[in-house]
Amino acid sequence: MAAPATAAGPGRESAIQLAPAPLLEVSDLRVTFRARGTSIYAVQGISYTVEPGQTLAVIGESGSGKTVSARAVMGLLPGSASVAGSVRFRGEELVGLSQADMRSHRGRSFAMVFQYPERSLNPTMRVGSQITEAIRTHEQAGKKEAHDRAVDLLKMVRLPAPERRFYEYPHQLSGGMRQRVVIAIALACGPQVLFADEATTALDVTTQAQIMDLLLELQQQTGTALVMISHDLGLAATYAEDVMVMYAGKVVERAPAKELFAGVRMPYTQALLDAIPRIELEPHVLLPVVGGRPPDLAAIPLGCPFAPRCPGVQEDCRQEAPPLKQHEAGRWWACWHPLGKGARP
Amino acid sequence: MSVPAANILTTATVAPAAAVAGPATRDRGWLRFLEIAIPGAILVVLLFFCFIWPLVYPVPKPVGGSLTTVNLPLWSKGHILGTDAVGNDVMSRILYGGRVSFEVAAAVQAIGLVVGGLIGLVAAYRGGWTDAVLMRILDMFIAFPSLVLVLAIADSLGPSETHVIWALSAFSIPAFGRVARAAALGLRDRPFVVAARLSGTRPWRIMFGHLVPNMMPQLLTFGMLGAGIVMILEGALDFLGYGIPQPTASWGNMIATGETIISVYPRYVIVPSIFLLVTVICLNLFGDGLRARWGVR
Amino acid sequence: MTETVLTGSGETGSDVLLEVRHLVQEFVLRDFGGAKGGVLQAVSDVSFDLHVGETLGIVGETGSGKSTLARSVIQAPPPQQGEVIFQGQELVGLRHKALKAARRNLQMVFQDPFSSLDPRWSVSRIVEEPLIAYGVGNMAERRDRVKSVLDLVGLDPGRYGIRRPRELSGGQCQRVALARALALEPKLILCDEPVSSLDVLVQAQVLNLFEKLRAELGLSYLFIAHDLALVKQVSDRVAVMYLGKLCELGPVREIYSEPLHPYTLALLTSIPDPDPQVGRRDTATVIKGELPSPLDPPSGCRFRTRCPMAQARCAAEVPELRPLSDGRYVACHFPLAGSWPAEGALPQASPAMTV
Repeated sequence: MAAPATAAGPGRESAIQLAPAPLLEVSDLRVTFRARGTSIYAVQGISYTVEPGQTLAVIGESGSGKTVSARAVMGLLPGSASVAGSVRFRGEELVGLSQADMRSHRGRSFAMVFQYPERSLNPTMRVGSQITEAIRTHEQAGKKEAHDRAVDLLKMVRLPAPERRFYEYPHQLSGGMRQRVVIAIALACGPQVLFADEATTALDVTTQAQIMDLLLELQQQTGTALVMISHDLGLAATYAEDVMVMYAGKVVERAPAKELFAGVRMPYTQALLDAIPRIELEPHVLLPVVGGRPPDLAAIPLGCPFAPRCPGVQEDCRQEAPPLKQHEAGRWWACWHPLGKGARP
Repeated sequence: MSVPAANILTTATVAPAAAVAGPATRDRGWLRFLEIAIPGAILVVLLFFCFIWPLVYPVPKPVGGSLTTVNLPLWSKGHILGTDAVGNDVMSRILYGGRVSFEVAAAVQAIGLVVGGLIGLVAAYRGGWTDAVLMRILDMFIAFPSLVLVLAIADSLGPSETHVIWALSAFSIPAFGRVARAAALGLRDRPFVVAARLSGTRPWRIMFGHLVPNMMPQLLTFGMLGAGIVMILEGALDFLGYGIPQPTASWGNMIATGETIISVYPRYVIVPSIFLLVTVICLNLFGDGLRARWGVR
Repeated sequence: MTETVLTGSGETGSDVLLEVRHLVQEFVLRDFGGAKGGVLQAVSDVSFDLHVGETLGIVGETGSGKSTLARSVIQAPPPQQGEVIFQGQELVGLRHKALKAARRNLQMVFQDPFSSLDPRWSVSRIVEEPLIAYGVGNMAERRDRVKSVLDLVGLDPGRYGIRRPRELSGGQCQRVALARALALEPKLILCDEPVSSLDVLVQAQVLNLFEKLRAELGLSYLFIAHDLALVKQVSDRVAVMYLGKLCELGPVREIYSEPLHPYTLALLTSIPDPDPQVGRRDTATVIKGELPSPLDPPSGCRFRTRCPMAQARCAAEVPELRPLSDGRYVACHFPLAGSWPAEGALPQASPAMTV
């Protein structure tokens, strides 16, 4: 990359290395729903990037905006939602694209796997046809070629007896097998980003482990970036490289998984960790809990959204919302009084 | 401290389910409101004119018209829709005929709701033999083509408004019975009903305290949608001569008498037909709008 | 009627609240047209005891039959075979008034907080329903009881009494369900995945509430969940179910530290640990394949198709739930620790076992 001439004139050339555009760059994404006269601020300005091959976990509870933001990227929100901000995929702006243009991206550039596989599959269509349909939507492929690729995909997702399964209907498969089919459909055209929206929540824990292992293996094979959306911190700790925690429509903490769990900064993340029942704990021990409920998204609070519930809340927390800043290398948090760090500078 | 707004997003399936559904649609709240409001308003206007207007305004009598004023055209002085072959004011006959249509539809649907609803509810809750027997009885009625059944009953009873209501009830009771049974079956195994049984609540209390209030949206919307059909059946009965006898006005028998001279004076068929058509369409739209609003499937 | 039998800890106890013996719950599946399509044995020969003041956790995945088990205990629907003896009284075969009287001290909390409450009833009315059904007190007394029980679950009766379920959050609905269950001062509450639909933080709040009430009121719970860590949190003893059968039963700490049944080990290994240092565990060594169809379970041991240690005997012979050591019961021919004594001395799976 050539260093552009700076306004400061010759002699002061700074060699600006223009890094290649990240795979997915979300900047100040805002999603507002209008329902019966009120506005609901589901996502209030979040920014993050996804690099090729990365595994990112987006963790939050209901109402945190984790699902809505992913669907905003994919263009899957209903018309009552207005999306503002910027989402760039390989430099191309996605916000404001027509449905037709988004359709060409969906499946090819990025894809999504949802929570309930039985809802994602057409019960009246054979499983194989659903895969070939996905293939032939985006690419010119003959019937035979699509069939062969579909069978390969079924093999790739480790579905036993793939040739036979091709002709079966979804109800003939178990939950775990259905989710594998859904993954096969999602990966059919080689997307570069795969969103997994609570993809394993509805599955048994044994199946969940198998599916997550499969996803990670496929990632290695195909180089797809994986964005796992979940409420399960344990899942994030075990399978993700980076973890992003969302609360009330904002990102409140982001860090590589190992560092996050070694030292949590944001009290909300700590509250989440504390609230998970752990095998190591003794039975009948009361879990440390924070009371209250997430704020009403129709009215953005003035200060930090977690202030009403935070055990370490102080006066300034209520006055002004802390911004998400990179306080340490690779670690972002939005808190005036983060854990383990003391007072705000 | 209100919760509802946040609940739209906190129940995970609500927004996403709509999102995956298809292309972007605007917030159609106002459109939904109109879907219900416009047909509803038209119906209210019609009801007003049929039932209340003649009480406050001297509308010409629907029967006993003078032979000096036969076959007056539309927009005649004193007779806004003209007069018929025996001098009766058409507008007045429309209004009084409308009364008959609305009364019959309301009565038939009410009877169907209460009787049919009760049968379906008990059949669903009791299950087993009760269910089998009750449903087979209803099936017998449903198996007959509705018009034939109704005709047969009306014929044997003789023409009059009350007999029309009985005859049409033979159609609406089984229909409501089916709907009520399906609704009650859907509710019967829901956790809150199981919880009520566990709490020791008696079956009758469960049926009327829990099941019926939760079935009402389905039953009411079905009632609305069925009212249009009943009106048409009533019109058909009158048309065929088995319903309201002359000279009492009803939309159906007005169409019947008009049919004989349709080539000369088409308006005697067209005018009551339009009223019947508009009323039935409004009932359907209103019922459908209610169904959408209440989320009944 | 209760026999004093040695319990696991060596004490004699006649404080058995619930005895379940050889429970079988079947569902007949009908094809189109009503022809019999197959029989699903959701609960297959399950037996256990539950003592006063104890929480017995039942853990299992899809198709394990754990929810059906709970429903069978409360007789909704009644089981095809087996006995359910609550407070010394047999529930199976009772109907109407007798069942109602026998069930008074037995209540249930369901998984989905919203659908377990009548959407058209107010909170006070919901909680009052059992009191009215059993004719407890007069109107004023019932009102007071409703108020006090709502306080007990942490809901201000003044604010929440007139609300409807749709105005409440999941956690609040579950509190209402709990209040309703507590209205009649039950001895045993069956909890069918009561916190699975709730968010993490709310889940912890509600779990703490369950614990608090247990201590304050001396309640016993039959706590059903699919989350092992959760079950450990609340239980004194844990039973593991797979495809309708009990695999293992024992005191909570020991089940988790030293599982005896291969399926228990598979479950424990599959849980993602919130400690990235632990990382991914290789689950391929502990479990393989897919869940077989419940309509056609494997012969012999139902877990054998997925068990890495299955042997010929596992296909031929159904393993019975037998005591291996103090208080620990396992249904496996080749348990992970300990071993069965020589064939002749195998302890019988006696119906009088106080597990």
